[in-house]
Amino acid sequence: MHIPDAFIPIPQGVIYWIIALVFVALALRWAKNEMSEEKIPLIAVLAAGIFALQSFNLPVSMGTSGHLVGGALAAIVLGSPFAAVFILTLVLIVQGVLFGDGGITTMGANILNMGVLGGFVGFYSFKGMMGITKNMNISIFTAAWLACFIPALAAAVEMFFAGTFPLIEGLIAMGVYHALIGIIEGLVTVIAIRLIIKARPDIVDIRDPPMKGVNV
Amino acid sequence: MNNKTFIIAGIIIALLIGVLAVFFASGNPDGLESTALIVQGQKTLTGDTPPNAEVHEDPTGKFSYSSPMTNYSLGENIGPLGGIIAIVAGTLLAFLLVLGVLKLTTLIKSRKAKSNQ
Repeated sequence: MHIPDAFIPIPQGVIYWIIALVFVALALRWAKNEMSEEKIPLIAVLAAGIFALQSFNLPVSMGTSGHLVGGALAAIVLGSPFAAVFILTLVLIVQGVLFGDGGITTMGANILNMGVLGGFVGFYSFKGMMGITKNMNISIFTAAWLACFIPALAAAVEMFFAGTFPLIEGLIAMGVYHALIGIIEGLVTVIAIRLIIKARPDIVDIRDPPMKGVNV
Repeated sequence: MNNKTFIIAGIIIALLIGVLAVFFASGNPDGLESTALIVQGQKTLTGDTPPNAEVHEDPTGKFSYSSPMTNYSLGENIGPLGGIIAIVAGTLLAFLLVLGVLKLTTLIKSRKAKSNQ
């Protein structure tokens, strides 16, 4: 759901950029407070993995394909929605500047959708689902599915404001496609977190609910 | 698994996924592009995407930028090798960028801590 430059008028793009920068600043503060020397390369590896997985489009029928976004993955593994904002922002910079995957003036909107919304929806629905089901796989899958579906609806609304999609048609199509793409998001996120826990249980920040205050 | 093994294994897995993507990733439009094709009357919601379908972009009042490796490719002439180079470059750059920014934030933090002593 990388929005290209041609889909949003510049003034609207600037507004999304300004809102996104507030969250990027908070994400930098998270990085400054939470980082330890040994954790740094591990987070960089996670970013490399998310970049690679984002390039792997899988067919979801109806002539459409989709790939993992990784907001829920980053937020759940590192125990903060700001981890998703941090990693997705840098991944989106590489994609937009180097590969034209997502625009420059629309990068703020993309950061808001995939990093901020993806991270917050993924993180808090994971916490909520863990409290209800106590089942990690179900909680991760649901959180990752929502972290794909909700940002897609947000993108449809942004496309409506931009005059690019009509509201209802856009919401239906974006909703239907990302309900399917969300299954990829859910499955890949479950597998990735399981593998990371197996390799390095110490870096995965999944605390038993109810969790204490979120460290920003 | 120690840090070094995790980093090396992680990067190898990431590169492997990226290279496989060059050959096996679906060429169908993503959800946003598919929606744009519906709005532009080139596709139905549940129908297949016609092979000649292309998202029309209206550049008036919009920013335009041409990236060095558009669509994760170095052009038709180089073919899949260009795709592999693009993906490997992107994956390593994502790694290095995150590494660099995190190192910088911790550096700023330790400088501040020192100056406060």
